[in-house]
Amino acid sequence: MKEFELEPGEFVVREVRKHWFLFVTELLPYAIMAVIPFTLSKFLALSPSLLSYAAFFDFSEPLARAGLGVWLLVVWTGAWGAFTKYFLNVWVLTSQRIVNIKQRRFFSREVSSLFLSRIQDVTTDVHGLLPSLLGIGTIKAQTAAEDVEFVMPGIPRPEEMRDLILKYVPEDDSPPPTGV
Amino acid sequence: MSEPLQPFSPPSSFSSFLPGGVSSGVLAEWILYLVFAFWSLYTVVAVYHWLKYSHASWVALPAIAVHLFVSVALMAYALSGARIV
Repeated sequence: MKEFELEPGEFVVREVRKHWFLFVTELLPYAIMAVIPFTLSKFLALSPSLLSYAAFFDFSEPLARAGLGVWLLVVWTGAWGAFTKYFLNVWVLTSQRIVNIKQRRFFSREVSSLFLSRIQDVTTDVHGLLPSLLGIGTIKAQTAAEDVEFVMPGIPRPEEMRDLILKYVPEDDSPPPTGV
Repeated sequence: MSEPLQPFSPPSSFSSFLPGGVSSGVLAEWILYLVFAFWSLYTVVAVYHWLKYSHASWVALPAIAVHLFVSVALMAYALSGARIV
């Protein structure tokens, strides 16, 4: 892991990304955009005044093929970019801390750590029908400083993750190790 | 498809806007090249991020390979009416 150095004796417990369902919902606009060229010609054919425009979607024509190819290439590349962003955003729970790796966009990356020894309270929040059925929720880790809160939204099985975090929270008040 | 591929043939009114000596087929080809150039730049940046930040992940290389395969297939499809194919 290049993003941060593990302390001696520290090990990675789990890597968590957003729930796959949230990723699928991000892909939905791309899926709709991909089918538009195929459905639009059928809709145009329904109206006599727009029938002439349906010829633009005759993909046996080379120019229409070029347009379709470019359109699908743009849509595909956008969807792949969304997957890249989804995969590069990750929370890493180690035996000593939670690391939040946030890839906002290309060349914009933030890596922050919260040492488990500073955690005083861990809250899970599962709200709504679909999140309850699919097990999607938010974890909030509260530190002694009231304004410092570590939020992990949209993660799968938040209760399991909360238990895992609490398992590694040290019970004594030993100071957190230094260095990132 | 049994019909032979036809060269680019945009609407005839389109050709009147083109400078002399530039055919619509050549223009369409260069537009495609421009799109592919942007695609290349985007892909290089994305692959850089995959390899730099996901080097230990088993997902990185398959994700890049699938992207390249699908993209090249779509490019070949887009160019299938151009003169060079």
